[in-house]
Amino acid sequence: MTPNGAVAFALLVIVSALLARDPVGLLVILTATSCFALASRRPVWSALVWSCGIVLPLVLFMTLVWIIIVGRAPHEIAANVEGSRSAASFYVTIICLRLFIIAFTVQATFLHFAGWTPLRFIGALALPRVAKKLLVLTLSLIDTILQAVDRARTALIGAGLITRQRSWRNLRHGWILVQTVWLTVITIVLGRTRDKWPVEDTLARLEGSLAARATARLSATDFGWMALAIATGVAGLR
Amino acid sequence: MLTTPRLVAIALCAALNFAIGNIVYLIKLPIYLDSIGTILCALLIFPNRLAAIACAFIAGFISTILTGLILNPFLPWFSLTVLSIAIVSALLTGLATATFRTRPLPVVPFVTKVVLYGLITGIVSALASAPVVVYLFGGVTGSGSSFVVALFLKTGQQLLDSVVLAGLATDPIDKTLEVLLAALLYRATPREFIAMLAPAQPSAA
Amino acid sequence: MEFIAGTNFSGRSAALMARLRKQAPAFFIGPHAEAALSGLSSTVADEIEIYRAPKPDREAFAPLDFAAYAERRPPTLSGGEQVLLAVHCFSLSDYAAIGIDTALEQLDPDNRHRAISYLTHAESQGISATLADNRLDRPPGMTVHEVTSTSAEFACDLTAAALLPACQPMAIKVQGLSFRYPGGRDIFRNAGVKLESGHAYRLIGVNGAGKTTFCKLLAGVLAADAGAIELDGKPYAPWRTGNRAFAFATQNPDHQWCGATLGEDVTRRRGVLERQGIKVPPDETLAALAARLGVRSMEQHLYELPLVARKRLSWLWAFSGVMPWIMLDEPTLGQDRTTRDALADAIARLSGSGYGVVFITHDDDFAARIAHRPLRISDRLIS
Repeated sequence: MTPNGAVAFALLVIVSALLARDPVGLLVILTATSCFALASRRPVWSALVWSCGIVLPLVLFMTLVWIIIVGRAPHEIAANVEGSRSAASFYVTIICLRLFIIAFTVQATFLHFAGWTPLRFIGALALPRVAKKLLVLTLSLIDTILQAVDRARTALIGAGLITRQRSWRNLRHGWILVQTVWLTVITIVLGRTRDKWPVEDTLARLEGSLAARATARLSATDFGWMALAIATGVAGLR
Repeated sequence: MLTTPRLVAIALCAALNFAIGNIVYLIKLPIYLDSIGTILCALLIFPNRLAAIACAFIAGFISTILTGLILNPFLPWFSLTVLSIAIVSALLTGLATATFRTRPLPVVPFVTKVVLYGLITGIVSALASAPVVVYLFGGVTGSGSSFVVALFLKTGQQLLDSVVLAGLATDPIDKTLEVLLAALLYRATPREFIAMLAPAQPSAA
Repeated sequence: MEFIAGTNFSGRSAALMARLRKQAPAFFIGPHAEAALSGLSSTVADEIEIYRAPKPDREAFAPLDFAAYAERRPPTLSGGEQVLLAVHCFSLSDYAAIGIDTALEQLDPDNRHRAISYLTHAESQGISATLADNRLDRPPGMTVHEVTSTSAEFACDLTAAALLPACQPMAIKVQGLSFRYPGGRDIFRNAGVKLESGHAYRLIGVNGAGKTTFCKLLAGVLAADAGAIELDGKPYAPWRTGNRAFAFATQNPDHQWCGATLGEDVTRRRGVLERQGIKVPPDETLAALAARLGVRSMEQHLYELPLVARKRLSWLWAFSGVMPWIMLDEPTLGQDRTTRDALADAIARLSGSGYGVVFITHDDDFAARIAHRPLRISDRLIS
């Protein structure tokens, strides 16, 4: 399976889930995604747990809003009829299943490439060079920012400007943490852009590394999975 | 349009969007700020409006994709919202860049412009987000605005109308705060960095 | 191997970059940790792959087992580890030239010696190396290029800095200290130590031993899992009540500013300290101290200062006398000999006036100038 094939499969499944209108169709699509996850030969439970963790709060909110408070489905509100909680439950089930499929599909895609470094994964994607460079740069800067957050937090707690726990002081001064982090990272980036990258031609090196990791856009396995995604999508629409 | 410094600015602002959530969590604030980098990117590249729209949108889009892959798989669906914020920031909020950088801080003009552009950004963002919230989330995104939606639904309002009204009640506050933070960050950014983002000058023959 | 000699602000960095540009593309390691690596990788493995030549044709420099670091994120490495990783990447690349601007000062003595030896012998492998380093003085075997232009813009005068009235003594007692990072190993287990003000203490230990962690525990940034700290016999829990005793100058000065300008930084810190009942010198006094440290305007944008000047300014609160204890993490990085000697004398004056000082440094010459007590951190204990 190539990253391009995995992304294509994920997009097809997600679009199918968005178009499907009943729980049976969505369950068919979910089955396809589950097979995709199992085919990665990696523990699927972590992907399931993560997806449940993301969707469960939404399920609770939707149950509270639609079933308990409103007590009818949107089409019943539009038709100005009294409606029923069972219709609202059906509506909530569709939405939650869709959201779960989206979350689980994304995680299942990751399972196939769990051992890959970001450079290898991005290099293999069929994207323009500038898009690949941007993704690599952004991921690297996220790490830089998160590290700067940790260190700036150290200093600002040491200076007494913010606290480790929730506090009014954090509300007043939290913005200083954001400012410190931003300026720290800007300074790092300025130094690289002014000195290191021009003299090393580092960005050209990155392009070379990414190009070296380019693979075939789609493989036979990819086409098989994409066909399955389309088939279950069509089945889900019936 | 996409010079190396601008690519760096895009990546930096995208990373800022992503990381702000972590900062908010660490200092235990009960708010969620996800477009500061998008707005800031537009301010940094202003007055090149087209480049500002493009770069701000790309920064916002990349951050939603990465957030979608790593933290919240539903965020990428709000790309139209990202585009709308980028457009408003590049065409309107950018007009206030001179005020944002004036020292000492001109409090009244600063606050007036932050509130005005924050409200406009919030209104546009609420309108752009509503269809996604309706279709993908059934109107309920798991935040406090869900109860505002419930209130409007209970009174017989249509779902889309309820979501729009709830969004108009909450988004302007969030976006005003984001414009404020973006303006303060823009104000603090070293001159050298902003100068780097100006379009490349053609070399002398 | 070429050595660029000169004091701070003599144009050394510019001369080094000029030489590298003539030899471009050339590998460059800048003066602070973040300037060592490419900034384009999310893992150590990717960082190496970006630079690796298809067929590396020279001896690799591998003082650490980088395979074990493969999945680590580069910013999470210590400063010294980042510099070592950078030299390792260079050794696997096909660059014919390398320039290092004072970055080797962050290495512990053994790794510093290994790196310099590797570069010194690099010529036999067809490599041109250019080095600037404040702790080398006309090193043998290197061609020395002297840079003598001086700029007075950020001139620093520490001779009268840290001349403070006597400080009220404040002893620190740590008992039963235990701490581990979430998901990590024990850093301290039932450790204890007594620190008396009026003395300077040097924290010694290998990378990862817990030197900076100890400073963070004292400043209240981290909360101990168990144990107690006392200040003059009274219980002190800075992670709950806030830091009231330690002025902490971090290794990278950019991680401690509280504002974009010096004036903003001073105003914000003053507000916090005065609310805690701590007396803060007037703005004029702090401005005069900042001028001695090389920054003459309170409107100075901190991040527009050269790194060396930012590092010096990070000592402002340490020398202001606001807190009875001072912690300095690698204070000499990037500082020339004159400044290092003056800093050592200033620290000696501080401890002579009754302040307590805790410092971390790899620079044995600098430490030798200060009468201090070593505090060794090893095996989760402090001795």
